[in-house]
Amino acid sequence: MGDKTDVMQGTLALMVLKTLDVLGPLHGWGIARRIEQISGDLLSLNQGTLYPLLLRLEQEGSIDSDWGASENNRRARYYRLTKTGRKQLQSEVREWQQTTEIMARFLAARAEEL
Amino acid sequence: MKSLRRVGQRMWNFALRRDGGQRLREEMQEHIAMETAHNQRLGMSPAEARRQALIKWGGASAVREQYHAEKGLPLMETMLQDVRYAVRMLRKSPVFTSVAVLTLALGIGANAAIFTLINALMLKNLPVADPRTLVRLGNNNDCCVGIGSHDNGEMSFFSTDTYEYLRKNLPEFEELAAMQAGFAYRPVVVRMDGSSEAPRSVMGEFVSGNYFRTFGLNASVGRVLEDRDDAAGAPFTAVMSYETWKTRFHGDPGVVGSTLRVNTRPVTVVGIAPKGFYGDRLLPSPPEYYLPVESMPQIANVPYVHHTPVQWLYMIGRVRPGVQLGSLQEKVNTLLRHQLAETGRFSGKSGAERLRQLHIVLTPGGGGIQAMQEGYDRQLRMLMTASGLVLLIACANLANLLLVRGMSRKAEMNVRTALGARRGRIVRQLLTESILLASAGGLAGLAIAYAGTQMLLAMAFPGAESVPINPSPSPAVLAFALGLSLLTGVLFGAAPAWIASKATPADALRGGTRSVAGGATMLQSSLVVLQAGLSLVLLVCAGLFGKSLSKLERIDLKLDPVNRYIVHINPQTAGYTQRQVGDLYRAIEDRFHALPGVEKVGITSYTPMEDNNNGWSVQIQGKKEQEHNAIASYLKVNAEYFDSVGTRVVRGRGILPSDTVSAPHVAVVNQEFVRQLFKPGENPIGQHFGGDLKSAGDWEIVGVVENTAYQSATWNEHMMYFVPTLQRPLSAEPDSIDRDENMYAGAIVLKTSRPVPDMEESARKTLAGINPNLSVVRFQTFSAQIADQFSQARLLSGLTSLFGGLALLLATLGLYGVTAYGVARRTAEIGIRMALGAARSKVTFMVMRGAMVQALAGLALGIPTTLLCMKYLSSQLYDIKSVEGSVMAGAVALLALAAAVAGLIPARRAASINPVQALRVE
Repeated sequence: MGDKTDVMQGTLALMVLKTLDVLGPLHGWGIARRIEQISGDLLSLNQGTLYPLLLRLEQEGSIDSDWGASENNRRARYYRLTKTGRKQLQSEVREWQQTTEIMARFLAARAEEL
Repeated sequence: MKSLRRVGQRMWNFALRRDGGQRLREEMQEHIAMETAHNQRLGMSPAEARRQALIKWGGASAVREQYHAEKGLPLMETMLQDVRYAVRMLRKSPVFTSVAVLTLALGIGANAAIFTLINALMLKNLPVADPRTLVRLGNNNDCCVGIGSHDNGEMSFFSTDTYEYLRKNLPEFEELAAMQAGFAYRPVVVRMDGSSEAPRSVMGEFVSGNYFRTFGLNASVGRVLEDRDDAAGAPFTAVMSYETWKTRFHGDPGVVGSTLRVNTRPVTVVGIAPKGFYGDRLLPSPPEYYLPVESMPQIANVPYVHHTPVQWLYMIGRVRPGVQLGSLQEKVNTLLRHQLAETGRFSGKSGAERLRQLHIVLTPGGGGIQAMQEGYDRQLRMLMTASGLVLLIACANLANLLLVRGMSRKAEMNVRTALGARRGRIVRQLLTESILLASAGGLAGLAIAYAGTQMLLAMAFPGAESVPINPSPSPAVLAFALGLSLLTGVLFGAAPAWIASKATPADALRGGTRSVAGGATMLQSSLVVLQAGLSLVLLVCAGLFGKSLSKLERIDLKLDPVNRYIVHINPQTAGYTQRQVGDLYRAIEDRFHALPGVEKVGITSYTPMEDNNNGWSVQIQGKKEQEHNAIASYLKVNAEYFDSVGTRVVRGRGILPSDTVSAPHVAVVNQEFVRQLFKPGENPIGQHFGGDLKSAGDWEIVGVVENTAYQSATWNEHMMYFVPTLQRPLSAEPDSIDRDENMYAGAIVLKTSRPVPDMEESARKTLAGINPNLSVVRFQTFSAQIADQFSQARLLSGLTSLFGGLALLLATLGLYGVTAYGVARRTAEIGIRMALGAARSKVTFMVMRGAMVQALAGLALGIPTTLLCMKYLSSQLYDIKSVEGSVMAGAVALLALAAAVAGLIPARRAASINPVQALRVE
């Protein structure tokens, strides 16, 4: 696991929101799985930590949750994006793109340009 | 917005005690099952699949903790936890808890009681509309009827002419009201028209027609006084106080419109004043009736209401918004001087000089006329200081208790630290405990404050009809008491908490209770020294006030109060004119002599040791005019008066029945009169005197009486002269009798051969038998009247003793606590000493010495402080200018005794330590 990256503070929330935006209502395991898949197993995620985050997002009103039946007919809690959550996602995505762009330019700069 | 919603959700969860543990558990189960299934699909064995799933989940308890933290209010929860734990810990040591709570309750209770009184007396505004825009014209308590100003030219009460002139010429005032300055000294007699009930002598205040309008008040029933009531020739009207309406007339609305007899004149009640309104000043007996100024000449039969320079009114006005008080004051004074100049009283150069000095100081009027406040101001401040010291001692005590407790719980703290408790958490826990204690103390203190205020009121105003002060603490007092207790808790809880939290776990576990180092810390000892010093200060104060009181009470008043009764009357309120009083006095003498047991019936303008005086200037015939006005108290008395109060005639004769209207005009003077106005050895008998050079032949001196105490016990060296009841100055115009208020007697003094318990009732009946309108204004035994003069001194002495005793008790407790704690900590050490052969007496001595050294240090602190305080105290004391040796010695002895008791108990315990047991303790 040595070359796996820890999740950066604050980015996990954005990943969760994006996942729900793309896949629609999903249970916790599904979200965790999806994040790992997309990150190409580069991320080391303690899956348990996802749940306090989900709770926080729910309390903030970005997502909503309800019990439902899972694929193998078990009870699972499904999370879905709310209207507020969608707005939040858009603004956070914008911020993130800005940040990465700045970082990218910064890292690409050569000595003479600085 | 986002965080707001989150906080709301959290509080909701907290309130519902929903921590979501169940939900998380279910989700976790579900998650693990799915992950396990996924792992199995990847080809793992079921056991391995589940193991990997659990690893992937991460630290379960960390997640739970995080989840929980998201969900509720962790701070609140730990706080509740702390409180629950603190309650349990406090319950476990009931002695500590009750001593601490009691200590605080006494300290806070005393302070809150005094503060309630100060709040009511000093800080409270009148219950009127917008008290901030009210301004009083004047700044002192000058009263009640007279001409003149303070020596510095300040004027605070005014003639009707001045009032009317200012009211007309000061548009800066929305309203300018005037009110009778001395109504408390001139009760009115009220009787319901057609009722058989005995007339009552009550407080009635004459006020201008715009009085209620100025205060922005409306009647609770009917209407308030208006300008048309206060006009010449208007029918007599009055407004009744709400309190009187409720208590005397049971709130009957039919009272409005009915007719009362006020001093026998028919007066229509037009309305009831608003609830809670107690007039324009705080007095033990507020006015029951408000009457227009214009009706005063007829109702009160006084000559000074119109067209005289006599001052008798206070003024309070409501200024218009935006008026500058500085320029207003200048204008007021310009107008005042202009008006006074027109009276012609200030002619000549010296007159102009005097007029230039006269001025009015504008003061805030929202608190009304500060009549009572001035008298109580210094004393309340002093009591506040004393109770503040008690609180300080109480706080020191609490700090010490907490400190001792903190030390003895060191082991507990160490264990908790070793188990991973953070220092902040431990400090918070200890702080919670002390705040909890302080709150409990604060609450108990409020109960004490309530009872204490009632006691204070009863002590301060004995026999008052209805003091308009509510003894229940106001929100301000509540805030004050609770704030004080919390501050105490935090402040004095912090130090012990900090010290206790400095525990090093390793030390504790090594068995740190075995200690040879001194028992108590420096901090503890200095707290005890402080307590001892402060309580010495309070004890000396108490001693000085007690001494002052006993000196006051032991003054030889040259009076005989045994079997004497004083019946205050006011013939003028019963409708008698000055020309009719002669018959009345004869009737009084005859009827009262007919009562069983009555030996002497004295009739007088006023009596010794009541708050009354009537001073007139005197000039001896044939002597040159005095540089300073010689003022002598003037009384009209009948033949039996001197015997009735026990005043002895030392030269010549007293007043005789033969000194009738037509007999030669005679006067009896007191020894001081002779001392001041005659040369030593000169015979005053046969000499004449009067008010000035022109009237110097008015009275012939026929006798000299002893100096007796009038007005107050401490008023020495005042001249007095007594003339027969019906005689008037020789030079007075015969017609002026109709304006001569001195013709009215103020009191009957009865001397009986034995105690007559129902004298009040017989006096009432006897007077009513002479004239149904003749009522008893006030009835008291002579002893009670004299005792009343000392009530303030007694109150001060009582309260300072109370505070002194409290302080001593607390200091003793503190000293005991520290010494006992020291002994407990040194049990092992003492055991070793004794095992090595130390005698029990030596151990006792060692412990006692510690306690005594602290007490001595307290003395070293307290004695100089006391000497410093003396400067502020001496004005409150009678005939005591420096700390008396006996008082100081007494206080020191008391403190030493207390220290000995506080030291002896732990010392004996130390001496009874069994060495073997002591060493086995650990």
